[in-house]
Amino acid sequence: MSDNTKLVNHNDNEIHITSYVEHFGTWISLILLTFMTVFISVFGADLNTLTVATALFIASIKALVVAYYFMHLKYDPKIYRVMIIVVMALFLFFLLMLVVDYLTR
Amino acid sequence: MEHSFVLPNSGHNYDAKASKLGMWLFLYTELLLFGGLFIVYMVYRSLNPDAFLIASFNLNVWMGTINTVVLLTSSMTIAMSITAVQLGNSKLSLQLLLLTVLAAVVFLVIKYFEWGAKIEHGLWPGMDHFISLSHGEQLYFFLYFFMTGLHGLHVIVGMIFIIVVMNKIKKGSINKDKNQLLENSGLYWHLVDLIWIYLFPLFYLIH
Repeated sequence: MSDNTKLVNHNDNEIHITSYVEHFGTWISLILLTFMTVFISVFGADLNTLTVATALFIASIKALVVAYYFMHLKYDPKIYRVMIIVVMALFLFFLLMLVVDYLTR
Repeated sequence: MEHSFVLPNSGHNYDAKASKLGMWLFLYTELLLFGGLFIVYMVYRSLNPDAFLIASFNLNVWMGTINTVVLLTSSMTIAMSITAVQLGNSKLSLQLLLLTVLAAVVFLVIKYFEWGAKIEHGLWPGMDHFISLSHGEQLYFFLYFFMTGLHGLHVIVGMIFIIVVMNKIKKGSINKDKNQLLENSGLYWHLVDLIWIYLFPLFYLIH
């Protein structure tokens, strides 16, 4: 019995509860990044190609923030992050093959 | 606390870790589904840069921005509802989930008005105005309707998922000790948010 209780406690200790304040902070940073990307796009229109790159760069930061904090990846076992990297590598591989295809036509 | 320990194969097949891993595996396939569409978008945009620019002026940046804020806020409320359940506050969790569903409704209503305006202008594939457009602009609207439409479908599915979870919290089958389904609905909802984070600059912020 004592073994069982120990096991339960052990599992409970592993659960990380993100605080409300941390979620709110994550939200604030995401909103700020959103306004930043809109501002750059609307008022920096003459920068042209640079705005596409910055928009995608900011979007990627936002995606990472959502994945790390809201989706709890920061506190989860490593396996989820490793698998995300594998999926992203697969995606980049598809992208690379396609670019090579178009460039060599 | 004596009920919280469940022997393997004792008939209670609740396994939070397996459930979460399964959800993530599904989300990886979703990432590749939308990833494929983003690649299609990239190819056609690089082949028709000017047409994509001209076509994007038909979209309302402010409506897109409001929808981004709505989705980000709903992501926060569902994340907070998980915190609430884990702290044993089911009532607060339900209220936060209700806010999430309301945000989803607001998102869809705004989308309805956006699509409605496009269709009124005859920009739906096959309509008069659409046919008169250049090839590149037609591609933009094909991709716009398909990608935001598929995303909107995910919003509807996420909403239904959250409503199912809310019922389970009310019945008590999702609680402090057993809340993986809620967490999974959260993961799904964050994915919907994640996809929108890329759709928004790619369709609305071409300037």
